[in-house]
Amino acid sequence: MTGSAAGTAKSVQNRYLANMRKHWMLYVMIVPGLLYFLIFKYVPLAGSVIAFQNYQIFKGITGSSWVGLDNFRYLMTYQDFYLVLRNTATIALYHLVFGFPAPIILALLFNEVRRMFFKRVVQSLFYLPHFLSWVVVGGIVFELLSNQGIANMVRGWFGLEPVLFMQQQQYFRTIVVLSAIWKDVGWGTIIYLAAIAGINPNLYEAAVMDGASRWKQTIHITLPTMFPTILVLFLLNIGNFLELGFDQIYNLLTPMTYSVGDIIETYVYRAGVLQGQYSVTTAIGLFQSVIGFMLLWIFNRMARKTEQGLW
Amino acid sequence: MKQTKGEKTFQGINYLFLAAAAATMLLPLIHLLAVSLSSPVAADSKKVFLLPVEFTWASWVHILQNGGLWTSFGITVYIAVAGTFLSMLFSVLTAFPLARKEFLFRKPFMLGIIITMIFNAPMIPFFLTVRELGMMNSLWALILPGLIGTFNMIIIRTFFMGMPAELDDSARMDGCTDAGILFRIYLPLSKPVLATVSLFYAVGYWNTFQRAVLFIRDPNKWPLQMKLRIYLQSPEELAAVNLVLGDYDFNTTTLKAATILFATIPIILVYPYLQKYFVKGSMLGSLKE
Repeated sequence: MTGSAAGTAKSVQNRYLANMRKHWMLYVMIVPGLLYFLIFKYVPLAGSVIAFQNYQIFKGITGSSWVGLDNFRYLMTYQDFYLVLRNTATIALYHLVFGFPAPIILALLFNEVRRMFFKRVVQSLFYLPHFLSWVVVGGIVFELLSNQGIANMVRGWFGLEPVLFMQQQQYFRTIVVLSAIWKDVGWGTIIYLAAIAGINPNLYEAAVMDGASRWKQTIHITLPTMFPTILVLFLLNIGNFLELGFDQIYNLLTPMTYSVGDIIETYVYRAGVLQGQYSVTTAIGLFQSVIGFMLLWIFNRMARKTEQGLW
Repeated sequence: MKQTKGEKTFQGINYLFLAAAAATMLLPLIHLLAVSLSSPVAADSKKVFLLPVEFTWASWVHILQNGGLWTSFGITVYIAVAGTFLSMLFSVLTAFPLARKEFLFRKPFMLGIIITMIFNAPMIPFFLTVRELGMMNSLWALILPGLIGTFNMIIIRTFFMGMPAELDDSARMDGCTDAGILFRIYLPLSKPVLATVSLFYAVGYWNTFQRAVLFIRDPNKWPLQMKLRIYLQSPEELAAVNLVLGDYDFNTTTLKAATILFATIPIILVYPYLQKYFVKGSMLGSLKE
């Protein structure tokens, strides 16, 4: 018994070796990519242990002392942490409620356009902002909303006083969500349009025979077919729920709007990178990842009840 | 097919809405162009909408003569060219084995890669790692840490996996090695997807910002987006020299507009070429195993 098991193991091993000898080039090719993922993805992931240390830059990970959950306990008593967490969660929720459905709705609207030339031109324009950097988009937003910008020009036509939109807290989150939608809504439609393009035309013909209006067709055919795509994108989104993207907020934030707009990433940059509070800010980062993973896990479980989840 | 009255109304509104929304994607750029070509007085008195008022090239002449922007421009062109080449090389070399059944560790490796998409390392350990590697203030910090865009690599892999098996078989009959299959057969057949992904990488490098904020402290090594950000924050710096000399043909408003466009024009120039490919290319990226 043991002899034959050992024999099988050995033959499997031999098969592996034979395969590796025959296709050694594949194994050589993967080395650069492997090194990349190890060095720039896994090493930093492992480096997250400094969240449980009192990390000192000159002592390194091996020389710094371990403090258990002290950094996390410290966060719980720390005013800034709650402020930043609240800002991040609020903006993330707005993104989910307003930003996530936007490309779905836009794809449905595109789908109703029958003139191909019109459709092509409009789509090209919608894709354009995705390729601009957040520095540029931030610059445009500041310019349009400045004292001498278009927004205040229009206000002037109606005899209204100019408003300094970017410096006022009540507008900040709206601007963040709207500018994110402006930049990426068109790009986001691509995958939904692909899903729509894959729908069997027979379904529509049958529906028309049954007297279904365009609206009924959308509700009963188009949307249900898009649903799996929507679900997968939703899950991918929820996994990065608290990761709003450094570039956007950093380029829209001013000291006047810190209290509503300072998010985990901008805060970690200032307190961690600039002021050297490495351990505490890594704890925040880890907290962020764990929340994201938990949300993903919960929603994936729910998704599996109805449809396929991510895993 | 007959349309009901409600459907016709909807159609009309839909066309109008889409046209108006699409216009907002372009109008800000045209407005900025108009501002950059207007006199400072006109720009600041809210007279400029889509056409220049009191036309002048002065702000453009000034920023084009400003050495700082050209240095950053050169750095960005350099990292875009070198980075795109290296990224493509690494991505193709990684995607190919992962696309092939003969490669035994395909599944565990893919899993390892997907995990990095779900668990992003926090910013600080990432920062410390790159610093430990001695890349502070080095242009390598703008290239190496993002060398393989996971999603881009998966797009290439998905395309490779769609290659017909007969191609492999006949190539092998002719005595082709694995590298031969990649370079002589797969790559020539993958031109559209390679073009798409190259352009994604190139735009990514062109727009590199966060890594510059993190790793480049030396102003002489700032890439374009970083320089742009500084000039947008304190345009006086960009204007200073000439304002002192009493040249008032431009001001901070018109200079800012010109600077934003300066960093954007290359993107707009490649955009028509870009968009021929990207829709098809990015659809290929749908995750599947």
